[in-house]
Amino acid sequence: MGILTLRDVSKSFGDGPHRVDAVRGVSLNIGRGEMVSLVGPSGSGKSTLLAMVGGLLTPTSGEVLVDGADVAQFGGRERTRYRRDRVGFVFQGSNMVPFLTARENLLLVAQFGGADKGALKRRADELLEELELMPVANQLATQLSGGERQRVAIARALMRDPVLILVDEPTASLNTELGERVVDALAAEVSGRNKACLMVTHDERMAARADRLIEFRDGRILNDDRLDEGAASG
Amino acid sequence: MLALIEIKRRKLQFGLVTGVVALISYLIIMVTGLGLGLNEQAGTGLLSLNGDHLAYASNANLSVIRSRLTEEHVADIQAAPGVQQGTPVGYIAVVVEYAPDESNTAATLGVIPGSFAEPAVVEGRQLSAPDEVLVDRAWVRLAETGIGETLPLPVGFETRDFTVVGVVDQGYFFFQPTVYVSLEDWQGLAYQGDLAGRPAASIVLLQGDGIDSMRGEGWEVVTKQEGFRNIEGVAAQQSTVNALRYMGLLIGTLVIGVFFYVITLQKVSLLGILKAIGAPGTFLVTQGLLQVFLVALSGALISVVLALVTEATLLSSDTVPIAFNTRALVTSSGFVVIGGMVGAALSVRQVATIDPIIAMQQQ
Repeated sequence: MGILTLRDVSKSFGDGPHRVDAVRGVSLNIGRGEMVSLVGPSGSGKSTLLAMVGGLLTPTSGEVLVDGADVAQFGGRERTRYRRDRVGFVFQGSNMVPFLTARENLLLVAQFGGADKGALKRRADELLEELELMPVANQLATQLSGGERQRVAIARALMRDPVLILVDEPTASLNTELGERVVDALAAEVSGRNKACLMVTHDERMAARADRLIEFRDGRILNDDRLDEGAASG
Repeated sequence: MLALIEIKRRKLQFGLVTGVVALISYLIIMVTGLGLGLNEQAGTGLLSLNGDHLAYASNANLSVIRSRLTEEHVADIQAAPGVQQGTPVGYIAVVVEYAPDESNTAATLGVIPGSFAEPAVVEGRQLSAPDEVLVDRAWVRLAETGIGETLPLPVGFETRDFTVVGVVDQGYFFFQPTVYVSLEDWQGLAYQGDLAGRPAASIVLLQGDGIDSMRGEGWEVVTKQEGFRNIEGVAAQQSTVNALRYMGLLIGTLVIGVFFYVITLQKVSLLGILKAIGAPGTFLVTQGLLQVFLVALSGALISVVLALVTEATLLSSDTVPIAFNTRALVTSSGFVVIGGMVGAALSVRQVATIDPIIAMQQQ
């Protein structure tokens, strides 16, 4: 069993004639050190799938197993701890806290408890260094460029050393060069620290830098292909 | 601490919010202060008398103005069971021309010099001889008079000069600043000519136990508070003032509660982000409430300072009756803080229960 296992996961919104089946009976497995791209047209259910894995939405049916524990069965507190410690989420649009600096956005997670604050400070410096964010570490999130914000979002997702990294359109607002740097940084983290990553993207070039490419359509997996030269492994 | 950092970094926004809270709180406190000021002018002169009960003529309907007690009444009251001490007090309102074309009505109280009805002076000395007067601070401000100066009090169509020997801090009676003369002088001011058979006092000030609602032939006893409530117009005035005050508190508290409710709801996307990255509900609630507490408390403190400055300004001009006490200030500002906290608690609770993904989509 990998880090992430989905078993016949479905998600519907609404009732009766207004019911929308966003995800329909999806099963998949992602192992350690594996970076997986999830591609598909808008409205195909990719982000919904990601939100379920991230503990932000509860599946209508099926199991979402992370390290063997079913996220769908978590209560409120377990779910909060899961989001805090086990999974790192990079949202579409970065979602920084605007009145905090880049460094403070990283250290924000230290205020949620459950970790050594000193260790988190060291980890923040390490990530700022790795992602070339030191020069802007003390700038407010609103003063950062799109690329810088996206890298801060990735650094924040990695702060608590999660086993699973979920990324929603990480390069949507970036130019090609910046997009590649962001994905490469993610890939390095996944391969270097033996994590798993599920990345939703519309960008085929970025998708091609992963180990696996899953094509998603109408809430179902259409293709699941292993790529020969994924960035994570290469 | 996230809440403090936000306040520090968004000074203008939080400054404006604090300003709005301060203004609402100021309004509540001012309504309270004006009400208390009115009450004070209605009868602090009576309330600050050094006794716990008052005896009135039974046909006076608890009115100091209408109450007339004979010497027999006074003696009877003083000898009544439960009465430890009793001393007669006379009342008359006189117009004092303290300067050419300048006059004001004085609530003139007659007391026996040296008795417990004679108020303690804050300046000068107690009454000791005829034609001496103790004046309230309000008179000193109004007539710009002082120790050793004279105050002309009317006796019939004449005036008699009384020497100011002391200043007291007793306040007002019937919205008129008080002055104190000897009981004998009061009789002279109230009843000219032969004093034989004239009333010996308006009321009797009493100290004693178990004398509530005691009655005798031609007199009755009530507590000082009851006497205050029965001052003409005071009950109706107190009802109006209290209605204004409680409505002010209620509306002000609701406005501030709703204000913070809306402000906190506006942060729904930010709270969604925090939830999504693992912020526990307790963290969100604590930060939200801490922020509101600090802003509401700052607003309330600013309003207290503003109110005290206004009080000093109005008192120096002697135009608008206003008074504050610690209880009124604490109650009014406490309601503001609590209202804000309740409003914020409701919205934080609402936000804490919504899905983070939905919250983030509201960005």
